[in-house]
Amino acid sequence: MEPIHYLVLSSIVFSIGFLGIFINRKNIITILMSIELMLLSANINFVGFSYTLDDLSGQIFSLFILLVAAAEAAIGLAILMIFFKKSGSISIDKISNLKG
Amino acid sequence: MLFFFFVFSFIVIISSLSVVFSSNPVHSVLFLIFTFFNTAVIFLLFNAEFLAMTLIIVYVGAVAVLFLFVVMMLNINDSLMKEGFLKYFPFGLLLICIFFGELYMIFESNVFITPSDIRISISELVDGGMDNTKSIGLFLYTDYFIVFQISGFLLLLAMIGAIVLAHNEKINTRYNSPIDQKILNKKDVIKLN
Repeated sequence: MEPIHYLVLSSIVFSIGFLGIFINRKNIITILMSIELMLLSANINFVGFSYTLDDLSGQIFSLFILLVAAAEAAIGLAILMIFFKKSGSISIDKISNLKG
Repeated sequence: MLFFFFVFSFIVIISSLSVVFSSNPVHSVLFLIFTFFNTAVIFLLFNAEFLAMTLIIVYVGAVAVLFLFVVMMLNINDSLMKEGFLKYFPFGLLLICIFFGELYMIFESNVFITPSDIRISISELVDGGMDNTKSIGLFLYTDYFIVFQISGFLLLLAMIGAIVLAHNEKINTRYNSPIDQKILNKKDVIKLN
């Protein structure tokens, strides 16, 4: 597998995640899922380059990205639950209420 | 090998499009799980067995279940979900086309694909009889020890943060405070007339 194959795959997945942030204005859960997709595309790049360059460091860093993604999802969903409890919706238009 | 890579990357792209465009959040989460499974297969094709299994355990076992739990806990109105779709879609499409074009121009040039001097060679490890999990453990706990500790601390921080955020203090319920009970004296409370 040449580098261009997985580079194109990961950039397509990243672009889809990016588009998901744009079009889902009423649903923060889908925005969080789009962020997960973007982190996944970074993981594909790391593992692919680890294969091409014959270097194990890429897989180790990919493990750390996995960890950060899990922590981010936990915190993001906790904030989302409180936000839903306070405002009754998960629309991104109302999130400026968080300014206090 | 290349054929399987193309098949599974096609499934990844289709299912991640479904994550973004599906109007029901539960369907989105299920397509996200499907995407993770297919990415795990792609990782297997890249000889990263440990990472493939970790991806399934961490994402499907923890993150996606958390997403499903939150989606089911919140009472979301489906009909409002796609409001403003037509307003933002053309702009987003234009932006990602520009972004993808720029990325592709960089990929064509191949300027950044040069192996570094300091590296952990996988082929040497395999020749020495080490499998993937064993070699990751060997270098994660020695060369990357500080990063490992910091990431453990990050997980602790995330756990404390999530508990503090999600914990709701009971305001309207009556309960006995142990401290108040401890400082009471018998002769203050019991009255004999």
